[in-house]
Amino acid sequence: MKIACVIPAYNEDRYLNTVIAKVKAFVDFIIVVDDGSDKRASELAQKAGAFVLRHIINRGQGAALQTGSDYALQLGADIIVHFDADDQFAAAEIPDIIAPIIKGEADIVFGSRFLGKESNLPWIKKYLIWPLGRLINRFFGVHTSDPQSGFRAYTKEVAESFRIENDRMAHCSEILIKLGRGRWRFKEVPITVTYHEYGQKFSGGIRILKDLFIQKINQ
Amino acid sequence: MLQQSIALIFIAIFIWRLFTQRKKQTINNNEFIFWLAFWLIGALAIIFIRLLDKLLITAGFSGSGINFLLYLAVITLFYLIFKLRLKISKLEKSLTDLVRELALK
Repeated sequence: MKIACVIPAYNEDRYLNTVIAKVKAFVDFIIVVDDGSDKRASELAQKAGAFVLRHIINRGQGAALQTGSDYALQLGADIIVHFDADDQFAAAEIPDIIAPIIKGEADIVFGSRFLGKESNLPWIKKYLIWPLGRLINRFFGVHTSDPQSGFRAYTKEVAESFRIENDRMAHCSEILIKLGRGRWRFKEVPITVTYHEYGQKFSGGIRILKDLFIQKINQ
Repeated sequence: MLQQSIALIFIAIFIWRLFTQRKKQTINNNEFIFWLAFWLIGALAIIFIRLLDKLLITAGFSGSGINFLLYLAVITLFYLIFKLRLKISKLEKSLTDLVRELALK
């Protein structure tokens, strides 16, 4: 089985090389989608041995993931892994994420920060922002323990069956909503997250909500 | 009377701008007709404001004609903003499709 890892990157020069080096051992090819960063990010990723696609202007993580997933399909990938460029996920957990797919137990697997493994989640995120996020996601029909996790893997059949329409951060919830309604079997596995920066703020959550509503209206 | 005249002058300016935009072909036919009808209805409502007052009293409204026009304007503005947001989100989508297409080439 060919495994592709898609890494969207927007001005992530700091950790990109490290991430590519760590991920390399666990996948067949790495696709970095440079989402309108300065040229350095693309050069770094190329030198590190990744396939590099470049968005000429910034379109957001959701758009970059869709571009990367399309390219992975073109390369003949059987499993597509989504991974962040800021070194917050553990590359060594990629085998855990794809294991249920290889065993034939699931078509899509979501990494979850809330299934036992210790992560250095900021207090306000753990006890305020994420519970609130989970509550709102339930309104949209999402019932997983970590709706905003960007560490996931799915089969090529899943990738061919849907498109990420939310360009920005609402794509996490969108993927869960769409796949929850579909015929796909999904599973959650515990992951570890190491925060180097605070990441998405409360205002980001409001923007996600706005994007999800606009998408609902546009349908 | 003075207020009505000022409002009508403003409407005349907007209608004149509408015609110049049409001459320069910066506005399409549908948009032109919509805005022309919008300003003409506005002008008629201002000219016959007393009649509007009476109509509103007959219909059981407590506010005056000018208040009614103001409410109507606010509702219209909100609706137009909503439409604009939808249009922008569609444009954003087209832009993303284009950027993605270029990246995959």
